[in-house]
Amino acid sequence: MLKPFRLLRPGTVAEAGEELERHDDAAAIYAGGAELLLLMRQGLLQPEYLIDIKHIPELHGIRRENGGISIGAAVTHWDLERDGEIRKHYPLLAEAESHVGNIRVRNQGTLGGNLCFADPHADPATPLLVLDAEVELGSTRGSRVMPLDDFLLGMYETALEPGEILARVRVEPLPPGWGVAYQRIERFFRPTLNAAVAARSGGNVVNEVRMAVGCVGPRAVRLPDLEGRIRGLTVEDAVEAIRGARELLEEVLMPVDDLLGSAAYKLDITVVALERALRTSMMGGMGD
Amino acid sequence: MTETLEPVATVQTLPVSISVNGQEWSGEVPVEEVLLDFLRLRLGLTGSKRSCNSEVCGACTVLVDGRPVSACNYLAFEAGGRAVTTVEGLAVDGRLDPIQEAFVDQVAAQCGFCTSGQLMATRALLDENPTPTYDQMAEWLSGNICRCGTYPAIARAIAQVTRATTAEHESIHEEA
Repeated sequence: MLKPFRLLRPGTVAEAGEELERHDDAAAIYAGGAELLLLMRQGLLQPEYLIDIKHIPELHGIRRENGGISIGAAVTHWDLERDGEIRKHYPLLAEAESHVGNIRVRNQGTLGGNLCFADPHADPATPLLVLDAEVELGSTRGSRVMPLDDFLLGMYETALEPGEILARVRVEPLPPGWGVAYQRIERFFRPTLNAAVAARSGGNVVNEVRMAVGCVGPRAVRLPDLEGRIRGLTVEDAVEAIRGARELLEEVLMPVDDLLGSAAYKLDITVVALERALRTSMMGGMGD
Repeated sequence: MTETLEPVATVQTLPVSISVNGQEWSGEVPVEEVLLDFLRLRLGLTGSKRSCNSEVCGACTVLVDGRPVSACNYLAFEAGGRAVTTVEGLAVDGRLDPIQEAFVDQVAAQCGFCTSGQLMATRALLDENPTPTYDQMAEWLSGNICRCGTYPAIARAIAQVTRATTAEHESIHEEA
């Protein structure tokens, strides 16, 4: 049983922002409900108002935009993993989306909900960091755009300000010639750990590389320092550099013990996942 | 002195029309009512089971417009204007769905508590992909837990259906 609440159905982002401002902590944004309704049933959240944002046209659709793609926050994982454009030009995202929860969670849960919930054990944020994703936030004050990297603050914590909602997620495709790989270790439902890598190989040399790791600490993390260390190295030297980067990884990932694994275990597995993902992406990566 | 307990009052209801197994239901539902309670308590369709109550186990799997949802975590009003299919709606005119027949043939149940969910998830799979590989089948059904461990029998049941589908395709191609 869920505690009774009142359902509000704004038709625009500004109206949703207005309701949020009016009710503040007494309200929760409801899109798919995949995460929210669970918390309500467990009594961890007891909002008096659910602001149903599914009827806001602006939050729907996967659109081509300025050479990239713009994904409405209310688009479900189910639709993302099946979208032809995403599968073809953003296989890293399509792959990660196809692993979220299970078929029912993917059918109900939305990309925006997943990012705003900011559970450290989630799939989409990690590849989106590699793809330099940006988020568009809306409120009664208008909209602002920021890198996803600045949006994710910590465990269940984002840069959303009071009265603000996530409207769209923008991604640009990788230049031609890059390979990508997504590594995911799962023991139960949510990923224990994930790593996303994109690389452009020149023969055996890592000419360009981007890497991100999720689930180890409070949030998914892009790894610019490690990328800098291995850029220009051969694959074997790059793998050695990753294996030797445990201290750096510990510093930037801030590993924590949790029900899915100890901090030390997750750090060990991070090295393995990054190594595997780098090798796969250097061999051309996952196909379309 | 005894205190009288009052039932919790809903604060809001919505008028909805839901097609359930091909039959229309129209009425008011409280916004907080989940689809599983709507089906089991309001309509007496008890084939869908409540088990984990958290979208993980799949025992409450039903189809909404052909797609699988966890009825335990799906608000009933969301089904308004949509078609819900439960295990009670799989058989047509007293004839079992081929998936149900295959589950019987392969004894793909022990206690049977998860079976309606397994059947509905399988129906959705075969509607989207009539000839899944073993890996596709395993990935799709990874969200439907069977604590009796009947997975091999479930896989055999699905294979029985897909073999029939494949044979049908082949015979069509031979004729063409």
